[in-house]
Amino acid sequence: MIKAEHVYKNFGSIKVLKDVSLQISQGEVVVIIGPSGSGKSTFLRCINLLERPTSGTVTVDEQNMTALKPKQVIKVREKVGMVFQHFYLFPHKSVLENLIYAPMKVKGLSKDEAVRKAEELLKKVGLLEKKDQYPNKLSGGQKQRVAIARALAMEPDYMLFDEPTSALDPEMVKEVLDVIQSLAESGMTMVIVTHEMGFARQVGDKVVFMDDGRILESSTPEAFFSHPQTERAKDFLEKIL
Amino acid sequence: MEQLFTGFKTIAPSIPYIINGIWVTLGIALGAAIIGFVLGTLLSLCKISNIGILNGFARGYTSIFRGTPLIMQLALAFFAVPQLLGLGDVNATTVAIITFGLNSGAYMSEIIRSGINAVDKGQFEAAGALGVGYWPMMKDIILPQAIKNILPAMMNEFITLTKDSAIVSTIAVTDMMRRSQIVSAQYYTYFPPMFVAFIMYYLVVLILTFIGGRIERRLSRSDQS
Ligand SMILES: Nc1ncnc2c1ncn2[C@@H]1O[C@H](COP(=O)(O)OP(=O)(O)OP(=O)(O)O)[C@@H](O)[C@H]1O
Ligand SMILES: [Mg+2]
Repeated sequence: MIKAEHVYKNFGSIKVLKDVSLQISQGEVVVIIGPSGSGKSTFLRCINLLERPTSGTVTVDEQNMTALKPKQVIKVREKVGMVFQHFYLFPHKSVLENLIYAPMKVKGLSKDEAVRKAEELLKKVGLLEKKDQYPNKLSGGQKQRVAIARALAMEPDYMLFDEPTSALDPEMVKEVLDVIQSLAESGMTMVIVTHEMGFARQVGDKVVFMDDGRILESSTPEAFFSHPQTERAKDFLEKIL
Repeated sequence: MEQLFTGFKTIAPSIPYIINGIWVTLGIALGAAIIGFVLGTLLSLCKISNIGILNGFARGYTSIFRGTPLIMQLALAFFAVPQLLGLGDVNATTVAIITFGLNSGAYMSEIIRSGINAVDKGQFEAAGALGVGYWPMMKDIILPQAIKNILPAMMNEFITLTKDSAIVSTIAVTDMMRRSQIVSAQYYTYFPPMFVAFIMYYLVVLILTFIGGRIERRLSRSDQS
């Protein structure tokens, strides 16, 4: 379980997160939506402490991340995979090398083990035949599927997605969403920031609406999309749908 | 004109001696480049670290080596420091390589730092999110990309070292420059020996520039997505 309690984040004098609390239970898929600049990415990055909250606590499996030293934070991060809008594959490593690097380096897997696991994952995302390619030879959708496989190679208990399809050409969105969907069906606990409302509705157990550094609504997709409670959410949905 | 021609003819037996000085020159440049690269990498890591004392040291180091003449540093290292420490005679070539290496480290650290800064911040985040620690991340993920970015600049640094190494002639290292002076003195004629060295320096720089260009082209090709 992940628990964020009263998280505040300032960048200098800019207050980006203002008292954000959220609980993510085992097996739950939480979708975060909201206008640009509302702090969605920042909040996601606070969960695995890529960004240190200015105040408040983040707890992962009873471990208070905010109280840990940087070295220990890295250890807990193994459990929390993250997928970025712009993929961030390692450009100087082949697809397979991208997948085996962290398991070998961080988890101490043998090369054989890591490769076996990586090939299994690549098969799952439908890219086994690309294993020796370099990232610059892949399409956006392929890159993102590799990035998802790379995160899964660490066998995380949680996955964070920050707008995984926003940088993709429209025809590639589906292949990535399909992978995420099947991950959801396999019971992975996930937090997904997305602008794909149809997907949010379909895959989310809970929809969280953020605006101006706060969580304004948190409910089931059904409730949120058919009866948004706040004016801000109504506005937002009108604009985006 | 005819006088010039006979000049070249007179020194002909010594021309190979001058030309072979290029190996001394290149040896010093290469040794210094290796020291400079290792040192520059360490200094650049100090510069991007948020540990105040390392940061301050690296900045101070760079400032001093860039803020004083190289020929002064060389004289200090060859004449002054050994006397101060009572070391007696020191090997001039060794001193030259070390001094050039220390000097080059200051310049390289700036080059490498700019290379690290040019690596996408997302690379740090992706590595961090996978639980990769600071040192493995730097060694395996960031530096390989940084160095690829700056290979052309490092080639330039090597060319600069090759040219600047001519000042080791002032501490009696028999590099190509020094050899041209020796031959000049031997035959009481300046133009032919110096012209030979001059042309050789230029040729070597042209060749290094050409190699650098090839490397750059190959890299930019492999970057195309
Ligand atoms: N490192 C930083 N330094 C300063 N300001 C930052 C930093 N990171 C984010 N911000 C600011 O925080 C605010 C929220 O940013 P964030 O990226 O979390 O929003 P978002 O909801 O993810 O938006 P988008 O939908 O555009 O991705 C923005 O105003 C942004 O400019
Ligand atoms: Mg964002």
